[in-house]
Amino acid sequence: MNTNTISLNRRSFLYGAGVALALPRLETFAAKTPNQQDTPKRFVSVYHPDGVGLPLKADPAWKDWSWFPRGGEHDFELTKVLDVLEPVRSEITIYSGLSHPAVRQVHGHSNADQYLTGAATGGHGPYKNSISLDQVIAAHTGEFTRHASLVMSTNGGIGGPRGAQTQSFNREGRPIPARNKPKQIFDMLFVTSGKDARAKLARSKSALDFLIGNTRSLGRELSKIDQQTLQQYLDAVRDTEVKLANAQKWIDAPVPDVDTTNLKLDADPKEARFYFETMYELIYLSFLSDSTRVATFQLGRENGEGPHDLLSKAVGLGNAHALTHAVKKPDGWKNLGTYNRYQVGEFGRFLQKLKETPEPTGQGNMLDNTFAMHGSASSSFHLSRNYPIISAGGKNLGFKNGRFLKFGKGNEDNQAGAGIVTDVGWRGKIEAEELPLSSLYLTVLHKLGVDAQSFGGITETLTKV
Amino acid sequence: MKSSRVNTLRGTILLVLGSGCLLLAAEVDTNVLTLEEAKELGRLKSSYSRETNRDTRATHAIPKANLSHFQKSIGPILQRHCVACHGPDEPKAQLRVDKLNPDLLTGPDIERWREVYDVLSNSEMPPDDEPDYELADADRSNIIEWLGDELNKASLARRSDRQHSSFRRMTKYEYSYALQDLLGLPYTLADPLPSETASADGFKNSSQMLQMSAMQFELYRGIGLKALKSATVRGDRPEAVTYIISMQEEMEKGSAKKAELFNKEDKNYNKNRTRQHLFNKETGEGLRFSGGKWTPTADAVAGKTSVVSPVVLVLPKSNEFKLNLDRFLPDEGTMRVRIRVARTTMEADEYASLRLIFGAHTSNNANFSLVISERDIPVTAPADNPQFIHFDIPLSEIPRNPFRHLSTTFPRRDELLSIRNVSNAHNKTEPLSVVIDYIEISAPHYDQWPPRTHNAIFVESKNKCDEEKYGREVLTGFTERAWRRPVTSQEVDQLMALFAKYRPEFTNFEDAMLEVLATVLATPEFLYLTQRVSDNSANIPNTISEMELASRLSFFLWSSIPDDELLELARQGTLNESKVLKAQVRRMLADSRSDRFSHTFVQQWLGMDGLNSVIHVHDSSLKESLHEEPVAFFEEVLKSNSSVMNFIHSDYVMVNERLASHYKIPGVYGPHFRKVPISPQANRGGILSGAGVLTMNSDGRDSHPLKRGIWLLEHVLNDPPPPPPPNVPEVDLTDPKILNMTLKERISDHRRKPACISCHAKIDPWGIAFENYDALGAYRTQIRNEPVDATSLLFNKQELAGIDGLKRYLLTDRQDQFARAMVHKMTAYALGRPLSFSDRADIDSITRQFRKHGDRLGDLVNLIIGSELFHAK
Repeated sequence: MNTNTISLNRRSFLYGAGVALALPRLETFAAKTPNQQDTPKRFVSVYHPDGVGLPLKADPAWKDWSWFPRGGEHDFELTKVLDVLEPVRSEITIYSGLSHPAVRQVHGHSNADQYLTGAATGGHGPYKNSISLDQVIAAHTGEFTRHASLVMSTNGGIGGPRGAQTQSFNREGRPIPARNKPKQIFDMLFVTSGKDARAKLARSKSALDFLIGNTRSLGRELSKIDQQTLQQYLDAVRDTEVKLANAQKWIDAPVPDVDTTNLKLDADPKEARFYFETMYELIYLSFLSDSTRVATFQLGRENGEGPHDLLSKAVGLGNAHALTHAVKKPDGWKNLGTYNRYQVGEFGRFLQKLKETPEPTGQGNMLDNTFAMHGSASSSFHLSRNYPIISAGGKNLGFKNGRFLKFGKGNEDNQAGAGIVTDVGWRGKIEAEELPLSSLYLTVLHKLGVDAQSFGGITETLTKV
Repeated sequence: MKSSRVNTLRGTILLVLGSGCLLLAAEVDTNVLTLEEAKELGRLKSSYSRETNRDTRATHAIPKANLSHFQKSIGPILQRHCVACHGPDEPKAQLRVDKLNPDLLTGPDIERWREVYDVLSNSEMPPDDEPDYELADADRSNIIEWLGDELNKASLARRSDRQHSSFRRMTKYEYSYALQDLLGLPYTLADPLPSETASADGFKNSSQMLQMSAMQFELYRGIGLKALKSATVRGDRPEAVTYIISMQEEMEKGSAKKAELFNKEDKNYNKNRTRQHLFNKETGEGLRFSGGKWTPTADAVAGKTSVVSPVVLVLPKSNEFKLNLDRFLPDEGTMRVRIRVARTTMEADEYASLRLIFGAHTSNNANFSLVISERDIPVTAPADNPQFIHFDIPLSEIPRNPFRHLSTTFPRRDELLSIRNVSNAHNKTEPLSVVIDYIEISAPHYDQWPPRTHNAIFVESKNKCDEEKYGREVLTGFTERAWRRPVTSQEVDQLMALFAKYRPEFTNFEDAMLEVLATVLATPEFLYLTQRVSDNSANIPNTISEMELASRLSFFLWSSIPDDELLELARQGTLNESKVLKAQVRRMLADSRSDRFSHTFVQQWLGMDGLNSVIHVHDSSLKESLHEEPVAFFEEVLKSNSSVMNFIHSDYVMVNERLASHYKIPGVYGPHFRKVPISPQANRGGILSGAGVLTMNSDGRDSHPLKRGIWLLEHVLNDPPPPPPPNVPEVDLTDPKILNMTLKERISDHRRKPACISCHAKIDPWGIAFENYDALGAYRTQIRNEPVDATSLLFNKQELAGIDGLKRYLLTDRQDQFARAMVHKMTAYALGRPLSFSDRADIDSITRQFRKHGDRLGDLVNLIIGSELFHAK
């Protein structure tokens, strides 16, 4: 089958390359040179499957290994799971009482798909998703960078419906394939060759020239009012031309030089520590070089075997998913907590690095201009409620950190659904009132300068954030 | 309840008795008439049938501003209550109410008047802290009503300022059909395109709504190329994978499983036979069996007919036969599923049909499945003479298991196909099941090689070896069909120039050519319905050409491009001849593509999209039937060329089994819609009392009189109420007083607010007349143990006694309005543009002819197509 396409705009060739490009904006594109926008506004989301440890208060493990902090908005106390974040405490916000309403009674294993979308993806039968938060942002920031977004996961590809291996979904709700090989990601980001792309661009250019000629000659035979209608078509062609010109610029622009000392490009998830560090380093480098401003990274896949199941080897533990099932075994809560602690620790190191790097083209450090989040679509064992979410950074975007923000009602001590160990717990009655996570997402969109009326069907923002 | 101010339905009726020679004029209480008689009475009252020689163009003047009411009443109120702050002395908000020009139609102050309207209807002005200027409720309503009317008129006038044109781009659904018809593809590829929004008239094909953006433009190019690639092939015929499932073999394999074996003679046979099982008709032996895993059969040849086996799979109602096909289905091409099947019994009131479901279960909790067959295929053959049923499924267009190419075994790679028996079997003693003895699954399936779709583009030619000559042939043939007109040799030159640029980059002629053809599909000549100034074959100025007429016709009746016959007649210049045109309309309406007309027109005319966002219909077959009923009704009225007054009321319904059971009409079996006569006690007939419309205009728990009233005014009577003012107060359900009110009481309470009354008085009574129908459109006589009160009083003091009263009133007094609305709606749809003042005379003249000949729907299609309007630019 022929794989040529009529045009090569950035979108199609980058889709081919496994990196999602922005939705084209509806309004006319202005031809921008790379990095012309003011200080970048960035977004990164890290997803981990299988939730976190949530023992009951009566359980001796509760004191140390319950994920949620204790105490109030400012005087909260981190347990052993999150205490690795103490050094960046003033840069983080921890949330409770947020979840996506549509799937609160769907098995947690089916729900990685909707973590960034808020869609009603259900538990069986026909499946439909919607655009993810990162892609809404990428639609706005994408025109300033070579890549609109960087989509990564440990397992790569798209996974299956209700078993996503990517956090990113396009405007039609179709999954965007995630990259999982550091070497390929690196090459795509920093060693792109534009030869093939150039030929395709030239072909598109000829097609557009033809279309403009054809439209003009039709226009001459139309009434004045119909010419105005046709003008819209011509504008659309022109906009596409501008985008092609933009794409041309990126192809011609040299790829940025980056410091590769911290990269182990041949690492794979079996060497979890190297792999994690390398993937985070790739996000860091792509931000530093302003190659993209939006990234998602999914650590594994809900349920089942796969490379991600080996990540917990980094802390000397058995398979990751099994840890959630073994919480009632000796040291069970501790083991799960230790693994979560490790994940969060890597996230913390990444935050630290952004914080230590002054913003290359603007105010403050890179973290100040980045909204970074870390979370899962289940808290307790397969239970899709009270998502454990941490966000960080974004001081220059209007985020105030160093807080523990509790939303909803009836679950102030995070005990609803705690201590579940059976595989039917996720069906349980909804006891506490939670707010839609999409309210946080809408807030994030606004602070990142995206003028959205709603996200995932939700129109309210969280004013506390 | 009946006060002297209430008008009962009275009218002068001409009773035609016997052979019609005796005419009696008398005053008759129309409440004693049947609705059919009311229909007759109303017809006679039509102004269109009486005023025959009126100059139609003079009847509808552009509305005039109502200045006298302003001078008499509104001006003095404003003077008293507003001018102190908004007058000559330091006017607040820089607003001088005393200086506003009261002529909204021609004056410059329409925006400021709109603000005045908003603040008054919100009760924001005069402010609470100015008790001296407090506005009495009656005064407030007076201003709001006058201003609302004037604003409405002004907006109409403004609309008429602009000439709307029928030059427009195709809608998404038209584009999809056009691609399918052009390329011969049986499925849509247009899904990625954004959906259109409907115009104020409710139509999605309205020129001013059809925008174009860079994103859309790129999608058109991408979809066009993908479609061209799907329609064409390269090289040799690909080897197909074929699965053969023979029930005889399965029985032989399974005979070892003693536990699941049983015999016809066994005591518990009755229990076993209602489960899915294999059955040997000769031996009476049975084996429980619900599916299995198969791999392709080497060297199998699909499409052959083997000997019918005595061993069959018995698939009872609602059972699914599950086939695990492992991971061998190709990524692309058509999958043909061929099933030899029959019915166990032949009772006329039972039916059975087959449906295909496809999915995967990749790991725990990661699964999906969905129906992939476009429609259920009925099984009609008797057990002793089974039939072959086949489904063709485009494998590239259905959700597949993304892991099917993995080299490891987890997540699971297999794909699951299920065959479901969709049936209404209800006979207890001899249950209807379907029996299957043979299944064949083959992909990619081709009827011929190269396929017809390929040959339609890359046509046979003696010049095939000469790329230059052959290229011109391919381009000319394709472009003329895509652009719906002859192309000039210069145009072909330009396309060939593009081809020449592309050619070196491709190894073969076809690939380079597809790139050029995709460009042809991205031109405005394909994407837009054009009307050229210079084309003037008919020599009448302002008239579209015959080629353009062919397109206008086909987009009206087929939602797609014209076929070769229409184009040929247009090329010959005979399409415009009245006889030819009529014959073509007849042919087009008889063609299956005209289903698109019934579906899209009805859906948009009645706003049936609203049903898609309804979440309280849990039974999907009911929901489908709700969507389908008005379409089936429309088709019945169209095919029988009967009166559109049947839409208001008819003595029959169009139902299938599901809907008939919803309507409590006995004796209707099967999924197809058919005409069923009903008595007045059924409380149905026409579209107003159709459950789809009523369900759509509910709030999910109960009826919603407001929605129903607005729907009636907008869609049926073409008299849309003005939009609600901003910040209308919500009905406060936390107030216990309000919470305890009945719905009707709540509405009248809400309506008492001065800001609301003027609009609601015009909407609510219409909706309250529907109160006998609940949130699913089921008929009821009680709500929460109270009798339903569905009587209401229209703003003109007309009493409506429930649905019967509503229909009666519309039929006796509003036939002209409805007929005109029908003409208006269908003409706007046919032209693909909003109508304005300049069209009113034409609409009037069509309506007159329409009414004169009995309001027949088929006539209306012909009247519109024969009208000057339809042939005008």
